[in-house]
Order: sequence, then C-alpha cells, then structure tokens
Amino acid sequence: MPAFQLTVNGRRRSVDVDADTPLLWVLRDTLGLTGTKFGCGQGICGSCTVHRDGKAVRSCQVPIKESAGSAILTIEGLSKDGSHPVQRAWIEEDVAQCGYCQPGMLMTAAALLAANAHPTDGQIDDAIGEHICRCGTYPRIRKAIHRAARGGAK
Amino acid sequence: MTSRRDFLTITGVAGAGLVLALRLEAKPRPGDAPASDFRPNAYLAIRPDGTALLTVPKSEMGQGVRTTLPLVLAEELDLDWSRVELAQAMPGPDFQHLGTGGSTSVSTTWTTLRTAGAAAREMLVAAAAQAWGVPMAQCRTEQGFVLGPNGQKAGYGELAEAAAKLPVPKAPRLKNPAEFRLLGRPTLRVDGPKIVVGKALFGLDTRRPGQRFAAVLRCPVVGGQPKAWDETKAKAVRGVKAVVKVPTGLAVIADGTWAAFKGREALAATVTWDEGLHQDFNSKDLETRMRAALDGPADVARKAGDAGAALKASARVIEAEYFFPFQAHATMEPMNATVQARADGAEMWLGTQAPNTSQERAAKAMGLKTEQVKVNVALLGGGFGRRSGTDFSTEAAQVAKAAGGGPIQVVWSREDDFRHDQFHPATLHRLKAGVDGQGRLAAWSHRIAGGAVLRSWLEGHKSPGQAETEANGAHDIPYDIPALEVAFAEVRVPVALGWWRAIEIVPNVFARECFLDEVAHALGKDPLQFRLDLLGRRGKVKVGRDEVDITRLRRVLELAAEKAGWGRKVPPGHGLGIACHAYDARTYLAEVAEVSVEKGDLRVHRVTAAVDCGIVLNPTGLEGQVEGGIAWGISALSSQITFEKGRTVQEGYDTFPVLRQPDMPPVDVHVVASAEAPSGMGEPPVPVCLPAVLNALFAATGKRVRRLPLTPGDFA
Repeated sequence: MPAFQLTVNGRRRSVDVDADTPLLWVLRDTLGLTGTKFGCGQGICGSCTVHRDGKAVRSCQVPIKESAGSAILTIEGLSKDGSHPVQRAWIEEDVAQCGYCQPGMLMTAAALLAANAHPTDGQIDDAIGEHICRCGTYPRIRKAIHRAARGGAK
Repeated sequence: MTSRRDFLTITGVAGAGLVLALRLEAKPRPGDAPASDFRPNAYLAIRPDGTALLTVPKSEMGQGVRTTLPLVLAEELDLDWSRVELAQAMPGPDFQHLGTGGSTSVSTTWTTLRTAGAAAREMLVAAAAQAWGVPMAQCRTEQGFVLGPNGQKAGYGELAEAAAKLPVPKAPRLKNPAEFRLLGRPTLRVDGPKIVVGKALFGLDTRRPGQRFAAVLRCPVVGGQPKAWDETKAKAVRGVKAVVKVPTGLAVIADGTWAAFKGREALAATVTWDEGLHQDFNSKDLETRMRAALDGPADVARKAGDAGAALKASARVIEAEYFFPFQAHATMEPMNATVQARADGAEMWLGTQAPNTSQERAAKAMGLKTEQVKVNVALLGGGFGRRSGTDFSTEAAQVAKAAGGGPIQVVWSREDDFRHDQFHPATLHRLKAGVDGQGRLAAWSHRIAGGAVLRSWLEGHKSPGQAETEANGAHDIPYDIPALEVAFAEVRVPVALGWWRAIEIVPNVFARECFLDEVAHALGKDPLQFRLDLLGRRGKVKVGRDEVDITRLRRVLELAAEKAGWGRKVPPGHGLGIACHAYDARTYLAEVAEVSVEKGDLRVHRVTAAVDCGIVLNPTGLEGQVEGGIAWGISALSSQITFEKGRTVQEGYDTFPVLRQPDMPPVDVHVVASAEAPSGMGEPPVPVCLPAVLNALFAATGKRVRRLPLTPGDFA
C-alpha cells in the first residue's frame, strides 16, 4: 500500500518511501523528475527549490511526510512548453552558464513574481540572496526578473 | 566510400599543463552513420534532410563551448544555425586527447574547427558546381545552400551524397573575419531552452534501467582506512542492498540516493578508522613549514639580471608577505559518476573535463583495456578545474566493479565534496622591491612557497616545468624591471591538489599586483601611471616561453581606467583600485574596482573591465564570463579551507561562503576590437579582480590586506 499521496505538476502520485525521505529524493529518484537539483542537502544553496502549495520551499529540507496531500510544482511543471515569463526572460537574457542552479533560481523567481508583480532590486536581492550560483550569473538573473515583470519587454 | 584521410594535428601545451591534440580525420566506420550522410571529418555530418550534426570536442561547464565551438564550424560552413544539432565527443579513435581546461578551448580549436568547416563547404560547392557544370568560383554559399551563377540553388542535404565522394581539400580557404555572419554577434547559449525547463542533463541526472545509487564512507583524514565496522544497521535501512569495500572506503549501495546516504550514516556510527599518516596535518603547522621554505632552496621560474645583488645595492627595499589560503571548488553539482560494468567492458556517464584520462584510469581500475570503457560526457554542473580530476570517476568504477550487476551512480554529498576536494593549495609569497637612487624600481623578487598542483596532477611526479607552472602569473610579470627573480619552493602536502578557476594565476597575481600597488604608494606614484611607466612602450616582449604584447596590455589598462573615471573624485569613504594581467600571454585584461566599507563590511560598488581576447566570437558569452569571473574573484576574498587533525574544518556553504546576489556589483565590460586570434575568457577575468578590489580597499581605507580571507579587522 503506497504510503504517501501528493500532487506533482498537476498529477496525483503515490509514493511508497520512508517518511523521512526528503521531497528532493522522491522527485529525483522515485518519480524521475531530475530537473530539481541536489546542491547541498543542507538547505543553504537553493538548487532544490520547488513550490509547495504555491510557496517556494527547499525540497531537500522537506520530508515527504510533511508534503503528503500537498500540491508540488517543479521546474518540469512550471509551464507546458517553457513559456512561463521567467523561462522566456531567462533565455532572452542568456542567464544560465553551467545551468545547474538555475531550476531553483527560476522557481524562486516565479514565486517572487506571483507574490509581487514588480519587485525592486532589493526585493530581488532578498529572494535570490537565498540561492548560490557558483558561475556568478547574478547580474543577468536580476535583469531577467525585471524583464519577466515587464511582460518580456527588454 | 573510399579511404580518404586528412590529418591535421594541432598540439599545444595548455596553461594547465594539459597536452591537447585535435585532429581532423575522415575515417568512416561501418555502422557509424548512414552512407548518405556527408561526414568529411570527426566534427560534422550533414544529413540528406539538410540538418547538420556538429560534434563538440570540449566539455561544457558554463563557459559556453557548446555554443561557441559549433558557431565556428557553422560560420565557415555557412550553416543555418537553427538547423544545427550537437553531439558531444566521446573518447575513441577520433578523439584521443579530450580535455577542457586552462581557458584553451577556443585558442586550441580555432584553426582546426575553421578548417573542418571550410573544407566541408568547399566540397559541397564542388559537388554543386559539378552538377551544374559551372566553375566553383561562380558559386557561393548561404545559410545551408549553395547558390549558382544562374539562379541555381541546392540545399546542403541534397548535395551531401555527391560531396561525400569528393576529395577533402587540404588547405581550404578560410573566411576573412569581415565575412563573418555568425561570429562576433550575440548568440544565445544553445542549452538555455533545456536548462530553463529542467531537461538539461548533468551527470547526476543520469538514469539507466536498473540503476542503483551508492554513497562511499571515506575516512575524513586523507589516506585513512576503515579498520572495523558493522554492516548490520546499514543493511537494515530500507532500500540498502549491499556494502562493499573499495580502495577509498566502504560503499553503501541502495535503490535510491537517500537510502544510500542513510545507510552510510548508520555504517559511519559503527566504523573504527585507521587514520593513517596524516592525522596531525593542520593549516597552522603547514604555514610554519611554508615560511621556513621561503628561506630554503627554491626552483627558479624566471631570472633576469641579478636580483639579489640589485636588492643589496638598492637605495630602498620594500618587502611584504602575502598569504592565499586553500580553496575548494564548491561546484553546485557535487561530484558523481555512473558506471555500468558489463561482461565485455564498461560504460560511464559523467560530467568531466578529462574524458580520456577518466577512461584510461577507470579501465585500469576495472582491469579492462582503455577501449573497453565507453565514456559519455554529460553537462557539468560547474567544473572550475575540479572535474579535471579523476578521483571520483575512478572510485565509481571501483564501486561498480566491486558491486557487479547493473549501473551504479556514486553520489557525493556536499560534505563529501568539501572534505575530499582536490584543493587549490595555500601559498605564502615573499616579495621584495628594490628602488634605486632615482626612485626607479630596479629589482624584484617574488618567492612562492606551497603545494604543487602539477605534481598532484602527475600523480606524485615532479615535472621539469613545475616551478613555471606554479609561478604562473608571477614569473610572467610584464613590467620592465632590470633585475628580477621569481622562484617556487615546494612544500609537500598530504591532500590531493587540483587546479581552480584561473589556476595558480589567482594567488600569484593577487600578490604581485597588490604588492606593486604598495610600491607605487610607497613611492608616491599613481598606481595606473606607475604601471604604464613600468610597461613602457616595448611592443612584444619575450617573457619566459611566452610573448606578451605590451601594447595590448597598455590599451586595456588605459581603457579600464578611462571608462571607470580613474582619478575622478570619489564619494567619501570610496576608493578605486586597478590591476592588470596578460593571461598566458593570450587574453589581456584590466579591471578597476570601486569599493567602500559599509557597516564593517567590504562593499564592491562596481567593477569596470577592459578586455582584449582577440577576435570576439560571441559577445554575450564574453560578457557573461567577465561577470562570472568577477563574482568568483570577489568570492575568493572571503572563502578558505583550513585543516585540523587531518580534516577540513569547512564542509558546507555555511562555512565556505560563496558570493550571493546582494553582494554582486554591477560589472561594465569594455572590449578592445582586435584582429588577433581569439583566446579564452573563462578564467582570465578572475585573477585581476582580487588585487583591483584590495587595491581599492587600500585607497578607501588606507589598510593594506596581505592575507586572505578578509576578516572584519582588516578594515575596521
């Protein structure tokens, strides 16, 4: 009997895993959704960020037992075809370098814009400041979030 | 098809000491590709439908090679960029020396890839000209088509089969840069669309049928081994399948990453270690040894005149000691590799900067012949030199061999990644400047003590080029100083060492350019003018085995200074600092930083960079590398790895801080138009950033920082 029920990217899923298994590993290893990245497992780098019931959370710090019944949105479900404003802005500003941390960045950016349609630089700093990008794509992340807020206009 | 062959070998020695050889070779093998494909060399295939498959011979780790290198091919071939697909080169007969490092990807492949593209283009034109019965000279190419003199038009796909029957031209005509249509214009990263939807595949995203996951319990002390352990509790963890002994420790194999981690934790609680020879290794004692080494024998990396005598004869000697700590790479994607052992060989999937070396060493570890191991190179979630190492891939091969069965992914936790990095070594620098009676810099001595990365790379061997490699950035000091000596005193360390983004040039240019600033201030000279005067107007000068073009270096210095408003009145508490370097005598860079101290913290307000990297291939990529390099440089001011009782003190991003969004300054990038051959941009922006910022800090506060990482006391 599957132990935990949750909705992932709009689809109901049942997963039979230990209750302390972090959501990150359920997504990556059980459900095969590898877009959510493992960066530190310490809740520090933000690479594993997903939305739980609309809020950005660190999936490495959320045991599956705390996500039962929740609606989870991952980078694979942010849009059907890469057309979410942050995804489009990310491409147009050529943000990514190695790209590894970017799914987490995008999920935080999407949550930020959902809560605040026109964030200031300071508000972007606060939200993205919770993440690490070792390549140093920060200037373009800021530009891309502003671009997405403007509906894609440069 | 006939056995046409065309060899073109280019061998260069990379800054990182890697030997790279690329060759163009037409060697179709049965089953390689449909016979109707046009495949004149290992880099490209044109299919009958007109799409082109380009093979990327370098590993993508964020520096943009999967965009830039195919652009070079597509440019000479006049391809429709939207109809290009990419394949990643795999070790094998066509690619025997794959390696990515030292910011050499562009400089070492430029001519090869252009020639590969141009040769294919000429063959397509020849096929069309034959079919139309017109001279080749009357045909031209555009966006994947050959156009004839009388309105004829044929797609490359239609011509592919006929072109494949023609001889490969040995010396095809290369385009004049003025004819470039793709290069020199902003081109978006090809992997961008996949990255933003989570479909870009990194090594850790490898998922094979029947795949299992493993975590290795390693002794936190280098060289230590498990003496006794109890597997009962580990095996009781749900999902754990086995515990196997491997040379690096104990591998816990499970059906998921989390189970492997949990099983390993249970196992760790039971293990007794034999910590081996290095359990007392610590940073403090090492520094004492480094200081002693500064007074002992050293290998000379460069010598001009008699620096010792000139220092003695100097009217004034300025002396300082600089310290740069151990550093971790801290790539966002922790180390990992997936290996499948099979009856007749093995296959691996991993992000690596060293595909062939990984293949060779994994084969050796598994008792196989090199060619029995197939290596699939995934995207790298950061490389920065860490993935030039083969420790993690060899270990994964050992785990797969010991465990048998299907594919196994060995996953490093973040703690593993910090504890068992191949660290960039700490170095202690003693610099002396002798000033003559006329106030001129007459003598320079730069002595460096620390571990040798090259020896670690060569698995313990000392190369004759060791001093030059470890003193890179110091021995190629471009200033005109009559008597000069740069030497490296090796201090052996037990931990594995590895190249970092911008290699030894980071600590060496930090010490060199900060100390030069000290000398300028001590002599009451403006730091920019002091540098320009010392550079002089000498044109091209031989520095070691390289030739530095002083004119290019002057130009970036002057440009950065002009754009940053050098000499302007800055707000109270602010300061401007400048530094420059000719990176491996190929990429010329100067940066000006504006900083202040706010609430006890260093604040970098802006960095203005001027770059001459020869012909610019992709301006968007270039600017991104400068921004990223500056982020890395500022980050390097605050991070360090220290050792106590043979272990790293730091094992997470909480204790090894990496620059974050709020501390990223605006970066202005100014590019010098150049017709010189293009050179790399992944690393060169890093080294000059540190001294530019610290020199600015001095200008702002009067405090000279000679020891990293920064501590609040440095500018309180």
